[in-house]
Amino acid sequence: MALNRLRNRLGALVFTAFPSLAARWARRLEADAGAVPWAPPLVALARSTLALVTTGGVHLSTQPPFVMDDPDGDPTVRELPVDAPRAALTITHDYYDHRDADRDLNLVWPAERLREWVAEKALGRLHATGYAFMGHIDGPHLATFARSSAPQVARRLRAAGVDYALLVPA
Amino acid sequence: MGLAARAIEAEGIPTVALSIVREITEKTPPPRALYLRFPFGHALGEPGKPDQHHQVLARAFALLFAAPGPGTIADAGLRWRREEYGAPDWGQWRTLGPGR
Repeated sequence: MALNRLRNRLGALVFTAFPSLAARWARRLEADAGAVPWAPPLVALARSTLALVTTGGVHLSTQPPFVMDDPDGDPTVRELPVDAPRAALTITHDYYDHRDADRDLNLVWPAERLREWVAEKALGRLHATGYAFMGHIDGPHLATFARSSAPQVARRLRAAGVDYALLVPA
Repeated sequence: MGLAARAIEAEGIPTVALSIVREITEKTPPPRALYLRFPFGHALGEPGKPDQHHQVLARAFALLFAAPGPGTIADAGLRWRREEYGAPDWGQWRTLGPGR
């Protein structure tokens, strides 16, 4: 394994074990205090279609993994069927300790839990396609993410008639 | 996470995001965030604890309908590994919606 990936994985272990370090690191981030949009929720959850979005680096094993040797991360997106079996999915994300999420993918990709909400008639429908990012995005990739990848997902969700979206971080 | 939620909300789709590090969320607030004092990679909680996962989801969905305005960061008030999680309250959760 390349030295920088090893370093990132060790850092992920430390940040996962000591969240206060992550908080301290976050204070150095630039604030993006741009206007926060707002759409009022109008549909009962039990009659709605919900889309699942994660930044946990989940993808189909058959898809290209997220790029790990670029220190600025990877701003691209993977489309996943929400009914994909666990064996078809994997996580590529060196920036958090995902050993528990590997054991139980619901921690970052709660598709199984949300299907239970649908079965119990507390949620109308889970949108068939979910979207996954790898949350470590920095430098020039931030603009790509904000201007291209994220709006592209948003337009697809709108075109599909999705009512709500749940976003789950790494 | 905040940027993705904003992009989706800007298309007219209400969003709710889970948040693990409040300081990160505060830098780029999404429209609605449920803050959990859980470690990275554990937004829904611990592995193999579906009752806990459901309680987190229920709090997120409740916030979806209850948040007063854009940039709301609500503390879930759950302590890592120090909470008892009851069985899902499906009867209550089936009623989640606007005005609740």
